[in-house]
Amino acid sequence: MTEAIWSRGGGGDCIRLRGLPAGADVRVFPGTAVAAGSLPPMAGRLERDGADLCFVPRFAFLDGMSYTVTVEGTSAAVLVRPRPERPAATEVTGIRPAAAEVPVNLLRFYVWFSAPMSEGYAAGQVRLARDDGSIIAGALLPTEHELWDAARRRLTVLLDPARIKRGLPSHQEVGYPLRSGEPFRLVVGDGFRDAQGLPLRVSAERRYEVGGEERRHVDPVSWELAVPPAGTCEPLQVTFGRPLDHGLLARCLHVRGPGSELVDGTAQIGPGEQSWQLAPSRAWASTVHQLVVEPVLEDLAGNSVSRVFDRDLARPEDQSRPARPVIIVFRPG
Amino acid sequence: MSEFRLESGRVSLRSAGPITFGPAGILFLADNAAATVFAVDVADPGPAGGAEPFDLEDVDARVGSFLGCGPDDITIKDMAVHPLSHNVYLSVQRGHGEAAQPVLTRISVADGVIDDVPLDEVPFAAVAIGDAPGEDDERLDTTLPLRDDEGEEMQFGTFKIRLLRQPIRTATVTDMAYADGALLIAGLSNEEFSSKLRRIPFPFSAGIVGSSLEIYHVSHGKWETAAPIRAFVPYDGGASVLASYTCTPLVHFRLADLTDGAKAVGRTVAELGPVNQPLDMVSFVQDGEEYLLVANSAHGLLKIACRDIDSQPPLTEPQQPVGVPRETKDLQGIRRLANLGGSYVLALQSDDAGRQHLRSLKTASL
Repeated sequence: MTEAIWSRGGGGDCIRLRGLPAGADVRVFPGTAVAAGSLPPMAGRLERDGADLCFVPRFAFLDGMSYTVTVEGTSAAVLVRPRPERPAATEVTGIRPAAAEVPVNLLRFYVWFSAPMSEGYAAGQVRLARDDGSIIAGALLPTEHELWDAARRRLTVLLDPARIKRGLPSHQEVGYPLRSGEPFRLVVGDGFRDAQGLPLRVSAERRYEVGGEERRHVDPVSWELAVPPAGTCEPLQVTFGRPLDHGLLARCLHVRGPGSELVDGTAQIGPGEQSWQLAPSRAWASTVHQLVVEPVLEDLAGNSVSRVFDRDLARPEDQSRPARPVIIVFRPG
Repeated sequence: MSEFRLESGRVSLRSAGPITFGPAGILFLADNAAATVFAVDVADPGPAGGAEPFDLEDVDARVGSFLGCGPDDITIKDMAVHPLSHNVYLSVQRGHGEAAQPVLTRISVADGVIDDVPLDEVPFAAVAIGDAPGEDDERLDTTLPLRDDEGEEMQFGTFKIRLLRQPIRTATVTDMAYADGALLIAGLSNEEFSSKLRRIPFPFSAGIVGSSLEIYHVSHGKWETAAPIRAFVPYDGGASVLASYTCTPLVHFRLADLTDGAKAVGRTVAELGPVNQPLDMVSFVQDGEEYLLVANSAHGLLKIACRDIDSQPPLTEPQQPVGVPRETKDLQGIRRLANLGGSYVLALQSDDAGRQHLRSLKTASL
């Protein structure tokens, strides 16, 4: 009679076996039903510990998994690895764009979570839905490689660019994933698992109205600047005239002072990603400053300062512009 | 391995990503979580492979069993075949989330035995993927670390706390290939809709992050796009590359035309149809002629003759079928392709139930 229990040994978790003769052929398989001979045993080593044998796995046991121990090819014990019981607490903390209306050729969303997440759930848990609850099929780009930040807390979701780019069969035959005038919601299902394997506390969604096409360059020269008074720490306010990409806004705008040094301060993206402001940590000097705009800054449809999303070769205004920062000069008054 | 500037040490993989073989049996592994590509001497133990096929049913369940988990806990990220022994290498993620563990597994073609490739003390070199955050991008996501050895200790009054500061902007490697003395890397940015193909000379040199090649493609002579490359394959002895984009056209360009800092425009030679994603490509020789196989999410496995690509004028009119002649093979669910010697192409195939199998496709019959 073999007794098998979870234990510690060999420098980690192990399965401790009692009552086995020396030299017994012991194997461990994940799962409860072992298809004899068809699957390889779990990698690990057997260590003698007094009268006991310890199976020390090369790859750690997984919580919630069953393991079957065979001795001389016969099932001798089944152990279930306990799964710690914790309440689901992770939630979606933000969905971008925050604009109420997006262009019909919208390219991407960002979804922020309150804790690190597991990969492999985006395709099944993030979807676009109409107001009647029906799913907009084939709208999102199926990616084998999910696009996360390093902390696994921000997920980038792309709409299928083949349906946005003119001249391709996907666009010609199926059309845009969105339709002007037809509102939709981005829905994040509560089946999305966090890094601990737990579902979300609650599902999340954001509703959007859909406007027309946006196919123009991002044009910083047309932006409105509210220039702060010199000698104060009031913010410089920049209004774009259309929503821009939340992720890129956070790194594509800088202010440089008279000696070209970066002006330190608190930057904020305004409501609906339509504006941006910088409150300096030291009062503005009454000299010429530069607002520096990186050329990769994009709007919601993937048009950037230097190029449009897909260029109509017959339109001169679509031509690519130099991939250099655009500089707007202002002087606190 | 000194000629490749490999040094012995521990390869600490944080994530499993694309893999591909380079010269002398060196395996390149992309680690997207660490924004690093490793070049590893895997010291393949096998004898030279023969001309036999290799098939293995339920490869996900077998690898899972070896790693102590079920097939649903296994994600096969990529597949490569050792050029001499023909042993099969799988880049595998075991488990999910915090418990996820990257593992490099090797399947012997001689007997189907699965093993993990130890990375504790191996000759290796590493290079940072150059699209890491730029100098002006100081945005960091500050969180409490999950482990005691992560993050930096900060003092707040009398309290000490460990904070983990990680970049928000990342690049994700979607495909890699070694050609003409350099590693080519295609990636997707989690912010810009970028079009960069990175070329890093191998052996890696300190301080060399490689060049970034900006490639556009033109459809129907009317629309020009700078979309990211999703998958690609060198052919014609490494002189040419066929790339597929996130928006599915197949685009041809010659490596010699790609010069640093200049905009290169590839020639769109085929479109693969609507609502479809190319997954992998491989080139093979049949009756002395070179062909390409393209695995697709919706349109099965396509075979294309390289001579048709070379003679295909750029697509100028929307039409169906579009571009080079292609032959659709009645093989569904193929996700990865790799050359298994000259006589076979090895395919990783998913069945209707989602289980995965290794199948050898005879090049003479394709």
